[in-house]
Amino acid sequence: MSLSSESAHPHAASRGADASEFERESRVLFGDEVPPTLVHALRRLRDFRHRGFYFINQEGKERFCSFGEMHDEAGRRGRILRDLGLAKGDRVAIVVPEGDEFVLSFMGALYAGVIPVPIYPRLTLRNLEAYVETVGHIADASGARVVVTSPNARQYVEGAVGKSKLEALVTTEQLCPHPGPHPAGGDTIVPIDEHISPDDICFLQFTSGSTARPKGVRVLHRNLATNCGLFMLDGLRRRESWDKGVSWLPLFHDMGLIGFVMGPLFTNIESVFLPTSSFARGPRIWLETIHRHRGTITYAPNFAYALAVKRLRDRDLVGLDLSSLRISGCGAEPIQAGVLREFAKRLEPVGFKSSTLLPSYGMAEATLAITFIGHDEEPSADRVVAEDMGRRIATPATAETPEGKVAEIVSCGRPFRDHELRIVDDEGNVLGERRVGQIITRGPSIADGYFDNPAATAESFRADGWLYTGDLGYVADGNLYVCGRVKDMIIVRGRNFYPQDIEWLVGEMPSVRRGNVIAFAVSLGDTEGVVVCAEAAMSDEAALVPAIVSRVTDEVGIAPHDVAIVPLGTLPKTSSGKPQRRKTKQMYEDGTLRRIVEDAKSARAVPQPDGV
Amino acid sequence: MTTNRTELLTLFHKMATEIAEKEFPPFTEQTVISDLGIDSLAMLELVGAMERHFEIRIPDEQLVGITTVNDLLAVVEKGIAAARA
Repeated sequence: MSLSSESAHPHAASRGADASEFERESRVLFGDEVPPTLVHALRRLRDFRHRGFYFINQEGKERFCSFGEMHDEAGRRGRILRDLGLAKGDRVAIVVPEGDEFVLSFMGALYAGVIPVPIYPRLTLRNLEAYVETVGHIADASGARVVVTSPNARQYVEGAVGKSKLEALVTTEQLCPHPGPHPAGGDTIVPIDEHISPDDICFLQFTSGSTARPKGVRVLHRNLATNCGLFMLDGLRRRESWDKGVSWLPLFHDMGLIGFVMGPLFTNIESVFLPTSSFARGPRIWLETIHRHRGTITYAPNFAYALAVKRLRDRDLVGLDLSSLRISGCGAEPIQAGVLREFAKRLEPVGFKSSTLLPSYGMAEATLAITFIGHDEEPSADRVVAEDMGRRIATPATAETPEGKVAEIVSCGRPFRDHELRIVDDEGNVLGERRVGQIITRGPSIADGYFDNPAATAESFRADGWLYTGDLGYVADGNLYVCGRVKDMIIVRGRNFYPQDIEWLVGEMPSVRRGNVIAFAVSLGDTEGVVVCAEAAMSDEAALVPAIVSRVTDEVGIAPHDVAIVPLGTLPKTSSGKPQRRKTKQMYEDGTLRRIVEDAKSARAVPQPDGV
Repeated sequence: MTTNRTELLTLFHKMATEIAEKEFPPFTEQTVISDLGIDSLAMLELVGAMERHFEIRIPDEQLVGITTVNDLLAVVEKGIAAARA
């Protein structure tokens, strides 16, 4: 069905200016040329009418969209965006839950030189006002005046228009005047053909959706060409003739978007996309799709592997054959060795091989991937003495170390070629092997900073080219081990949350003593949970717990794992009055934090049953 | 198969307990789902379990405005009615 890898690439050679640039700018890796921009990448694939992306919708219907069709459609959508008054370099917000419409609109913007700003669609249970506010904050931070949305999402997006920099809303229907198969020759729209350079911004990746001042990473085309080329060719050793990605990852997030849309477009690989919500309703569909499509590459955060193990019944595995899979990547949040082992064991009877598991480390500020283990390597973990980690030393555990005192840390592998990685202490001094410090990295994948935010940029993207990741780790035998964070960021299922946002939100509640709230993450084994500790100003503490749970769930989108109401004046503070999160967390974990309401879960004030 | 509200509420309780792996305090149809510590992922898992149980489909769009237990049960009933039609 597919063209073999030996057949000539339909090149961008027919376009004068692009052709010479293609020769000049494309990098050769493992004998393959990597196009200089994502626009060149898709143009190069435009003659492929039998290779492309498969989009499965929530009803389970599959739409095949060939690379050729994507090229045509992107050109037309780009033209329409231009006709709406958007110029090269303008930003456009994209809130489109449907995978096919998202990708086509995103590529349409790129073809016009317009910078897409993907925003996550509204989640169930999330309060509308809070969602609209988030969309407004991201629009304001990016300067987007137009938002592209789908008819399904329009109802909850339009509230942000007029209340932020957003002035206009365009639906995907308006961008696609010829729904369904396009009648040959019936096209009255002249596709756009803008010149795009490797130094142009490709898109803005917003890394936290909940802050009042969200940060958008400026990802340049050349960052993407470098990183996609490296992780697809060097990291995954992709084989054009038979590799196929399968992903349910959200497309507004770097792992799904860069990993399964951009990486494959740069290197001519097909991908199959499932809605994230379909995976959440039952993880079988993930495996079933790999089986049906003979998928070879998939990726997921740690929590998803844990969820699959927890939810899959024996009958779910009947008839599945996962032997086609050669890469099962894991990233975006801390990785647990036990989870990967259990997953491999559970799925071994259906042909899954543990050597396909590929722990990795990366972040949007470095485009996507920073370190990978070898594509054919078994995942491995380092066993260290847990109590030494507090002193920032990763001492190897011995046979004498009691099992309860051993911490197991998964190897995330090595940095890519042309990239450097170091571990530094708080003063920036480079640390040696097995010393825990901040991970910093440098190289051509490092993005161009945060959009319109010089202060945040200066903090993370240093003048000497080093990206300060904010993550803690150590290096042993050349491999990176990630073991925590310098900053107090909370990561739940691959999404980043800042404790300050939660603290502010709870601090605004009437019975809470303002400014006396501390939020932090605790490990729940397969992901992290949020713990909120609040000093209460009144005596109705019992009613406060459900109110806090509800407020955080509604406005931030995660349910707190625990809420501790503590007596006034008992949360630890620095001499300047700043909350001491680490100290509070330590007190919480060793049981020395005084709580008014002993068990938050049983103390919820809920009405008596009627029917349960 | 007829399913009344009481049965549906019992089923919701049973499935939510299994998914969240914890005991819930007594609740009513008016209880706000997020008060129970159920977040978006748990909610989708719950919907998936309901869909498999009744062999129905509940589109994502119908889940967006859900706040209370009653809201969820109403979309499940709608799904059951649609499947019968």
